[in-house]
Amino acid sequence: MKTLKTGLVFFPAFDWSISPTHPEREERLLYTRDQLFEEGIMDLPEIEEFAPRLALKKDVARVHFCVPQVDYQVLKAHLIAAGASILLGEKVYRKEIKNGFALVRPPGHHAMRVVHGNRGFCNINNEAIVVEYLRHHYGIKKIAIIDTDVHHGDGTQDIFYHDPDVLYISFHQDGRTIFPGTGFIPELGGPTAFARTLNIPLPLGTTDEELHFILDQLILPVVQEFKPDFIINSAGQDNHYTDPLGSICMTARGYASLNEKLKPDLAVLEGGYAIETALPYVNMAIILAMAGQDYSYVQEPQPPQIRKSTKRFNEIKEIVTQLKDIWRNKDKINLNQIFGSEEYFQRKKSIYYDTDGFHEEQVERVKRCKECPGYITIDSKAVHSWRDSVKVFCITLPITACSSCQNEAYENYSDARNNRRYDYVYIQDKVKDVFISYNRKTKQELYLED
Amino acid sequence: MLIGIDVGGTCTDAVLLRKDKVLAKAKVPTGEDLLGSLMKALDKIMEGVQPAEIKRVVFSTTIITNLIAEKKYEKVAVMIIPGPGISHEKYNFKTETVIVDGAVDYRGREIIKLNEQEIKEKLFLLEQKGYHKLAVVGKFSNRNNLHENQIETLVRGLYPDWQVVLGHRVGGKLNLPRRVVNAYYTCATQEKYSKFINSVEEALIKRGIGADAYILKADGGTLPLRASEKVPVETIFSGPAASTLGVQALVPPGQTAVVVDIGGTTTDLALILSGEPLLSSKGVQVDELLTQVRGLSVRSIPVGGDTAVELSEGRILITGKRKGFPYCQGGPCPTPTDALRVLNLIDLGDRDLAVKGISTLGLNCSPQKAAEQIIDEVVKIIVTEIQRMFLEWEQEPAYRIWELLQKRSVRPDIVAGVGGGAIGLVEHIARELNCKKLLPAHAEVANAIGAAVARPTVQLSLRADTERQVFTVEETGYQGKLNNTKFSEKDALDLANEWLNRQAKSLGVLCEIGEVEIIRQEVFNMVRGWHTTGRIFDVVLQTKRGILQYVEQGGSK
Ligand SMILES: [Zn+2]
Ligand SMILES: [Zn+2]
Repeated sequence: MKTLKTGLVFFPAFDWSISPTHPEREERLLYTRDQLFEEGIMDLPEIEEFAPRLALKKDVARVHFCVPQVDYQVLKAHLIAAGASILLGEKVYRKEIKNGFALVRPPGHHAMRVVHGNRGFCNINNEAIVVEYLRHHYGIKKIAIIDTDVHHGDGTQDIFYHDPDVLYISFHQDGRTIFPGTGFIPELGGPTAFARTLNIPLPLGTTDEELHFILDQLILPVVQEFKPDFIINSAGQDNHYTDPLGSICMTARGYASLNEKLKPDLAVLEGGYAIETALPYVNMAIILAMAGQDYSYVQEPQPPQIRKSTKRFNEIKEIVTQLKDIWRNKDKINLNQIFGSEEYFQRKKSIYYDTDGFHEEQVERVKRCKECPGYITIDSKAVHSWRDSVKVFCITLPITACSSCQNEAYENYSDARNNRRYDYVYIQDKVKDVFISYNRKTKQELYLED
Repeated sequence: MLIGIDVGGTCTDAVLLRKDKVLAKAKVPTGEDLLGSLMKALDKIMEGVQPAEIKRVVFSTTIITNLIAEKKYEKVAVMIIPGPGISHEKYNFKTETVIVDGAVDYRGREIIKLNEQEIKEKLFLLEQKGYHKLAVVGKFSNRNNLHENQIETLVRGLYPDWQVVLGHRVGGKLNLPRRVVNAYYTCATQEKYSKFINSVEEALIKRGIGADAYILKADGGTLPLRASEKVPVETIFSGPAASTLGVQALVPPGQTAVVVDIGGTTTDLALILSGEPLLSSKGVQVDELLTQVRGLSVRSIPVGGDTAVELSEGRILITGKRKGFPYCQGGPCPTPTDALRVLNLIDLGDRDLAVKGISTLGLNCSPQKAAEQIIDEVVKIIVTEIQRMFLEWEQEPAYRIWELLQKRSVRPDIVAGVGGGAIGLVEHIARELNCKKLLPAHAEVANAIGAAVARPTVQLSLRADTERQVFTVEETGYQGKLNNTKFSEKDALDLANEWLNRQAKSLGVLCEIGEVEIIRQEVFNMVRGWHTTGRIFDVVLQTKRGILQYVEQGGSK
């Protein structure tokens, strides 16, 4: 049998940046390129490089409600990063490659379902776009996303919070000390997807050893039990000990062995801003690990200063124990005690767009359906810095929605269209793969075609 | 007048061009006595011509390719300074490979110093094993050649008669393993190559030709004969480059063409995109080792006029193997050439024999029909490969948004056939691809024509790091200081231009370079905290590639 290769899309987008001194700037992958090329990584027989392709607007709309339109929030660079992720995801699913690593910019895990602007350097969520693409085109069911970025992947969490078929596990520096300030243990998913979201807040200074304790004791057993059809590593590299934004002490080899154990089908680059001291080494180590190669020769020039701390390790053990309990008891817990017994679960959210500097207020409502994961509506209002407040109403139907949820969702859509409160009304119908937006001012309804 | 000479393994071809006309052409067998064959070819085309009228002579040769293929060189050891990175077990260069301590990073900063004692011990062991040729290559030596130079000094002191080749001087691009192979082959072939150059010079002197003499490189550019001594591997695969340029000179300007060179055992394919031959994005492969040598994108498929044809489960099978001559020329089994003969598409060998050969297949149809089926199969194989080449070219990685967005689908306008089997097949291939067919005149000496019209090309890649106040030149391995804290993008461009001119001068082609294009011009900031502390400038300049002139199609069949 032919041994499959590890697929790589390297798209550094050397001509895209937020601003010249922003951490997410053109040269972020420059030294990674130098390292990969000099090592001859692309020549290894175990590795195959692909050119990225562009994601379609429809691929974006399958996940996001871009206000007012996809075009408005999404640049070519975003479509390329998402398209590269799709390309590799698809090739893995078709068994054309063993696994894939999309080494792309810009990142995406802070992009939530509703997009009014840029959050944490992200506009659209690359991993979520791959998930919905694979579900639509290949009927793939259960997916696990492991977020290894130092920041909580609040966007990915938001998108799959009510989705029982997506297991989202994120470890990250404790939200009390870092952007975006979320990702605590009690954030466990909504009533229809309880404990499908697991957050592991790390104390400052967490080391490789401690992280691998979490991996071995908690993450790997949970993933194994969930039995996903597809595993994605949302591969942020800012947990590295030299990262200027984070305070966690992982090394390149620590990242590599994580991937060796997790065996993701697809890794998608997220953050990582130590562009000289970490990225070249971490990226290479991950590639080698995914390709089943020896990464023991990879070594950062400055070794880490590891400080052992019994206090920190005990704290970590406590977190692991707590989450293991929750996972073990997830089906025995009385959800009504947590979420109430209403047929529609409702929560309010306030979302800060750090790059653009404005707030969005949301009311999210989930139908607790017995037949399907239920449809969701979002009433969202944001005061964009450049104009008056924008009010939108969004409805999303999961791909497995039952017919009564479908009917209800469309009733909601026509009601909202007649409601003068909203500037735009959207319906995301994943059952029919139809995405419609309604502009109340122009009275125009737009079906996204491509 | 221009002369082009292609020194191939079996034949030496020569042409004499005056303006756009082929004045004379010759084909002589290449013998052991290289000088003799060269003289014979020269004499044939020089009849009645004054040597003073010759302005330029260009050679293309497979000498180095053959040297390497037949391993006719002394053993070479490789010393690598890889530092941290991929496993050292991965370095497999089919020769004695020694790894020593030391490391430089991607910006050319020394991270780990060399250990002289270790190096001395390892050199001693090499000497014990009888080595006296050594290629020394460090990771990122193109960004800082300190370690390579230090080792060279050590060797010179200890073993003055050794031949040492340093990586940064023979391959400045990123890619350590390929740079090692470049250095290794340079070290292996330099001596024999110099002998070849000497024969060539002698031949020219003997016939009183004082014109500038050049050698064709794999990328279709030319190098002055003497300058090429430093980089003999660059001349590898100049044969296919010559044939592509030759066809380029014979097809109308600006067209997109596929060059189909159908020989006895293989068919070579090359692409000319909007009038320019396509370069392979990575270096060429030599004897299973990957090099940094830029070459034209040429693909060889194992199907030719002499390929054995068999029947497998009632279907025609093109085996990809040659078992001898075609049946019509007394060979053992039917071949595509026999099929062409049966259909009267070529006039070669005995038609009755061809019919008999085709009949041995035992197909349930007339020999005519069977021959058509064979041709269809061959055409299908070639067409599939052509389409795959275009597709692969479209799918080449891109690293910038604009690059990716400007990618487009291109399909050929012309199928140009050269080589023995071309006449009968090109029409079919062209029809399948919906193109015009072209059987250029003088195609049998296309290689020599390509050499004659090849343009000297000079490329220069400059990388300046203002934080470290250093710059490097990829092509020469030169490393210099900037001494300018206000170094700007314009300064980078000026410096690159200055070095391009310097390079052209040292290659002796300053007067021929013509217009210079900017291939790449990029700036990357270095930010510490929230402040820009320096910039990296990346500038690549290149003189116009391609051919000096087109050649008239007079006397075309
Ligand atoms: Zn991050
Ligand atoms: Zn339902």
